[in-house]
Amino acid sequence: MQAATTTLTSEQITLDLLPQKFGKRGMIWTGSLLVIALIGAYAYYRQLKYGLVVTNMRDYVSWGIYISNFVFFVAISLVGSLITAILRLANVKWATPLTRIAEIIAVSAIVFASIIIVVDMGRPERFLNLLIHGRLQSPIIWDVIVIGTYFFISLLLLYFPLLPDLKLLIQFKEKSGKFLNRLYRFQGSFWKGTRSQFRISDRAITILCIIIIPVAFCIHTVTSWLFATTYRPGWDSTNFGAYFISGAFLVGAGAVVVAMYVFRKAYRLEKYITENHFEKMGRIVVLLSLLYLYFNVNEYLVPAFKMKNAESAHLNQLFTGEYAPMFWFAILVGMILPICMLVFRRGRKPVPMFIAGIMIVVGAWFKRYLIVTPTLLHPFLPMQDVPQSYHYYFPSWEEWAIALGSLAGALLVITFFARIYPIIPIQETITEQHEKTE
Amino acid sequence: MLFALGLCLCSFINAGAQDSTRPELNLTVSYFMKDNKVIHLLINTKAKIDSKFQPIPNTVVRLYLDKAEDSLLIGKVTTTRNGFAKAVFPVSLQSAWAASPNHTILGIAEGNKEFDEVSSETTVTKTRLALDTTTSEGKKSITVQVLAQTADDWTPAADVEMRVGIKRLGSILSAGDEETFTTDSTGTVTVELKKDSLPGDEKGNYILVARIDDNDQYGNLSLEKSVPWGEPLVVDKNFFDQRTLWTTRYRTPFWLLFMAYSIVIGVWGTLVYLVVQIVKIKKLSENKSS
Repeated sequence: MQAATTTLTSEQITLDLLPQKFGKRGMIWTGSLLVIALIGAYAYYRQLKYGLVVTNMRDYVSWGIYISNFVFFVAISLVGSLITAILRLANVKWATPLTRIAEIIAVSAIVFASIIIVVDMGRPERFLNLLIHGRLQSPIIWDVIVIGTYFFISLLLLYFPLLPDLKLLIQFKEKSGKFLNRLYRFQGSFWKGTRSQFRISDRAITILCIIIIPVAFCIHTVTSWLFATTYRPGWDSTNFGAYFISGAFLVGAGAVVVAMYVFRKAYRLEKYITENHFEKMGRIVVLLSLLYLYFNVNEYLVPAFKMKNAESAHLNQLFTGEYAPMFWFAILVGMILPICMLVFRRGRKPVPMFIAGIMIVVGAWFKRYLIVTPTLLHPFLPMQDVPQSYHYYFPSWEEWAIALGSLAGALLVITFFARIYPIIPIQETITEQHEKTE
Repeated sequence: MLFALGLCLCSFINAGAQDSTRPELNLTVSYFMKDNKVIHLLINTKAKIDSKFQPIPNTVVRLYLDKAEDSLLIGKVTTTRNGFAKAVFPVSLQSAWAASPNHTILGIAEGNKEFDEVSSETTVTKTRLALDTTTSEGKKSITVQVLAQTADDWTPAADVEMRVGIKRLGSILSAGDEETFTTDSTGTVTVELKKDSLPGDEKGNYILVARIDDNDQYGNLSLEKSVPWGEPLVVDKNFFDQRTLWTTRYRTPFWLLFMAYSIVIGVWGTLVYLVVQIVKIKKLSENKSS
């Protein structure tokens, strides 16, 4: 990037990075996502009308694909703190073009994590009861508090660096149109770019970067405690917090790599998201994959070595039983193959990186499904005198539609954000450019 | 050839006849009396389907005292999904009940699409139980007498098997070494209490029970009596007052409250400060333009 942008002028950068209208591909992409989201909304309407009976969740598997999806969204949201906060605090300049991508992924993921939890409740009008009658002793309440907090911090972290860009956007009224210009004015007309405004903004961003790291760790640790504080095979682990955080960092980094590639292609941002960015992100992804693999070895090898009765049924089903194809797919495709690809310099080129990113994200989704469902099918007490269907779980079409609809919804948020706001910070890129030329 | 054809035809007709055979409804009416006062009837309907007895729900059963006459109707009940129904003996039939020492309870299950009408009879001799307790030289004994009604008097009922024990949650703990006891020629059973130091209620009371189950002549009878023979139960009332992780929201441990509120106030305090910074940025702009 450094080499490529040294000749770019501020005007050129501004014009390159201003939000662009959807092209034909963009329209097809957005339309497809809208259709999937609408099918999901219809499935949810059916769930509201007939109750949770339209799902295949029953007495034993009471946390199905919805909670898997929730854990997946929470995991992806952690990327905001990695790219934005950790790299910013470490004064890693190359990550600047990726910060906003990471932040919008974090915001959209956390929004849909909250939505999917309400969907799982079955009776959304009772959501307030969580706050009115909630017990502070319950990790569920901690999760509600920490998700709300993380969402707010992520919004602020998205908003503060956006202020200088809003000033630029307001100047391009003809390009953005009346409606968007009114929106930009509402959000940032007060930004004049004075030194004192920058000083306050920079300090606020630094505080946010510091505060988001423990909160981000909390959100994923608390989510892991929803499982680990329950005495069940597969969940009864003191390692779960670290295991979840390492997995979250990996899937978040994978999602950023995918988004980097897509935005680079769609908006022709090769001058700003360079091969060097993929090279560096590739190294981070390899490190995170190895870290997550290490925790996986711990999580599965130690109980497998002991093979306690209750654990053995669960582990055998994962290693060689019904869930074995999915389990080995998640391990191989989600961790081992990306490591094998990205450990070589050639593998850290944009296209292989994009493929590895997709593999990590897909593998991570199935990994969350494996964390939730097989354990619920192996309670400590035997499953007796229950209908045969209680012994198995496969999501109903409504569950698939809602889960896919929520994924489409999260992608829609990112898509519309990229349509309205610059996906790469314009002002920061210009400032860095000036610093370099000086 | 003709013979073989005839044989096939016969088996076909026979099979058809078997197919059209409706399963037979099995109806039982059981008589229950508690504490020599309250009488109720328990009705059960089941049928053998696929070589297995299955409960038959939604069966309407009419119950009569001695004869199937409207004036002697005890009640009309419908079985639940478990195939059971319960009817309480009505006050209106008290004089008819008192008129004779022996009665027949007649149950008629109405026919429907699946089953034909069936009836069942249960003959009952009116019986009374008496339970007495004695304590001598530190030994506690329970005496139960069974008296059956004859034409003009109550006479002891011999050879009646019963359970005598202490009422526990969902069952009876036998007072003696045997599970059941049988009355002698005087209609009496005497059981020495072998279970010491059983927990009672807060005052040390527990309930003794004498129970006759499914007796062909007397039905199901039970009598209870509270005795102060148990160990007083000490209820740890402080258990639910503790501030622990498993109690209600009003008993959250102080350390958790302190930690949670400190974190929430610390983080949200900072966030409020940051929102104030946005307002400050806005004000700086206003000052500049003014």
